[in-house]
Amino acid sequence: MTSPKRLLAPLAIALATCLGSLAFVAAGCPDTTGSAGGGAAVSNRLLMYAGAASKPATEEATKMFEQETGTRVETVFGGSGAVLSQMELAREGDLYFPGSSDYMEKAKKKGDVIAETEAIVTYLVPAICVQKGNPKNIRTLKDLTRPGLKVAIANPETVCVGLYAVEIIEKNLSPSDKTAFRANLLNYTESCEKTATAISLKQVDAVIGWSVFADWDPENIEAIPLPADQIPRIGYIPIAVASFSSDTEQAKRFIDFVTGSLGQAVFAKYGYFATPEQAFTYVGETKPVGGEYVLPPDWVTK
Amino acid sequence: MRFRRVTIACALAVLAVYGLLIVSLFYFLDLSAVWQALSSKRVLFSVQLSLVAATAATAIALALAIPAAYALSRHDFRGREVVDAILEFPVIVSPAALGAIILIFFSNPLGAWIQDHTIQFVFAFAGIVLAQFIAVLGIAVRFLKSAFDQVPPRYEMVARTLGASPLRAFLTISLPLARRGLLASGVLTWAKALGEFGATIMVAGTMAMRTETLPIAIYMRLANADIKGTVALIIVLLAIGLSALYVGKLLFRERHA
Repeated sequence: MTSPKRLLAPLAIALATCLGSLAFVAAGCPDTTGSAGGGAAVSNRLLMYAGAASKPATEEATKMFEQETGTRVETVFGGSGAVLSQMELAREGDLYFPGSSDYMEKAKKKGDVIAETEAIVTYLVPAICVQKGNPKNIRTLKDLTRPGLKVAIANPETVCVGLYAVEIIEKNLSPSDKTAFRANLLNYTESCEKTATAISLKQVDAVIGWSVFADWDPENIEAIPLPADQIPRIGYIPIAVASFSSDTEQAKRFIDFVTGSLGQAVFAKYGYFATPEQAFTYVGETKPVGGEYVLPPDWVTK
Repeated sequence: MRFRRVTIACALAVLAVYGLLIVSLFYFLDLSAVWQALSSKRVLFSVQLSLVAATAATAIALALAIPAAYALSRHDFRGREVVDAILEFPVIVSPAALGAIILIFFSNPLGAWIQDHTIQFVFAFAGIVLAQFIAVLGIAVRFLKSAFDQVPPRYEMVARTLGASPLRAFLTISLPLARRGLLASGVLTWAKALGEFGATIMVAGTMAMRTETLPIAIYMRLANADIKGTVALIIVLLAIGLSALYVGKLLFRERHA
C-alpha cells in the first residue's frame, strides 16, 4: 500500500499541470471584449458560421478581408445545419454563410438572421461527378441506372445538393429507371464535401453533386455536365448577418466585400460561378435560381 | 475521516458533472418529439441497428481480444511491446480519422479486392460493424489485459502441475478468476461500440433504414437544425444504453451469485 506521503508529490504535480494549462489557455485566448463592447467602435473580430463546402475559398476571402480592414473573421466550419444549431445554442455570431439556400430559408424562418441583409455569393450547378478518367464510361443520367453501378447522393433531408439530386432524378427518369437508380443508390453521404470525397476515395462510381467538385479535387474528380433540359434549377450560396450580431455594420461590410470584385475573384479562382450568367453559360440555358422543392414522400422515411 | 469524505465528494462530483448535462437536456425537451421518435419506424430501425451492430462488433472484438490480452499478460514473445503500444492507435487518431483510414484502405487495391470478392463494407451494414470493431478492439485488449494481470499466474501453474493442459487451465482457472474484470471490459467495449459515431458515419453513410445508427440519427437531426428532435433521440439513446448496461450487469451478477 503506497503511503499517503508518496502520493502527495505526483498529485501536486498533476494539480500544478492542470492549473498551469488553464492559465496558459486563458492568457492565449483572443480578446473577447472586441465585439461584445459594442457602441460605435469597429470590432476587430467577426464570428462567422459557414458551411464547409466553400471552405478553401472562404478562408482565402476572410484572410483578404483581414488584410484590407484589420478585422479578423473567425469561422466555424461544418455542415450548414449543424453550424446553424451551434449558432442558435451559443446565441452569438455575426454572419451565417451556409452551403445552400434552403438552410438560409430555415435560418430566416427561425429569425436567426436579418433577412434584409441576405446576399448571394456564388452560384452552383448540379452535375454528375465521376472518378477521374471516367472508368465506368458514364455519360448521361440514364447511365446511372446501369445494373451493378455504385452511386451515391447527399442525404436529401439534410444536404441541399442531395435534394437537388432527387429533383433531377424525379423529373428526368421514368418510373422503371428511377427504380433502377435507387437500386444502385448505395447510400447517402452526410455533407456536401463527403459527396465529393465519395468519388475521391473511390467509394462509389458516380455521385450527383455540384460541378464545382471537380475544381476541389481535379486529380480525382471529373464533372459530367447534364444537358440543360435535365436541370430544373441552379443553386446558390447565400450569406446574411446573424441576428445575434453586435456589430451589424462590420458584418455587412464583410458581405459587401465577399460579393464585391475582390471577393468574387477569389471564388472564381476556386471554380465557383460568380454571376448567374456564368452559371447559365455552363448550363447552356437560363434557369430558375434557388426556390423550394419538396422532397417526395417516397424519399422521406418517418 | 476527512479523506473519506473528500473521496466520496469527488465521486458525487462525477455524478454531478454528467447529471447536470443530462438534466440540462430537459430545457429543450419536447414530449411530443420524444413520442414521435418512439413511434417512428425509422427510429425503431436505428435502435435495432445500433443494438445489433454494437453487440456483433463487441462479440467479434472480445473473441480476438480475450486470447490476445491473455498472451500480453502472460507470455513474453517477440513484438510484445509493439502490440502493447499499438493498442491506443484508434483512440489517438480519433474516430473521424479512423473512418478516413478505413475508407482509404478500401480504396487501395487490397481493400478493393476484398470488397469485390467478399462483402460490401463501405456504405453497408458490415461497414458499421467493422468501424465499431476497429474502434473498440484496442481498448478491449487493454482492459482485458488489466483483468488478467490481476490473476496471479501461480494458480494456473498449480493447475498445470496437476495435469491440466494450458487451455484447460485458462478455461477453468484464469477466466473464472478474471470474470469481474472481463465483465467490466465487455460492458465498456459494448458501450463504446454503441456510441461510436465518427468512424461509422464515414464508412457506412447515413441512409435511413439502412445504415443510420442512433448516434448518426442524432447528428442528422442536429444537422437539420432540429434541436428538439436531437434532444428526443439523445434521451432515447441514453435510456436504451443505460438500461441495457444495467440489465446486463444484473444478469451477470445473478449467474455468478
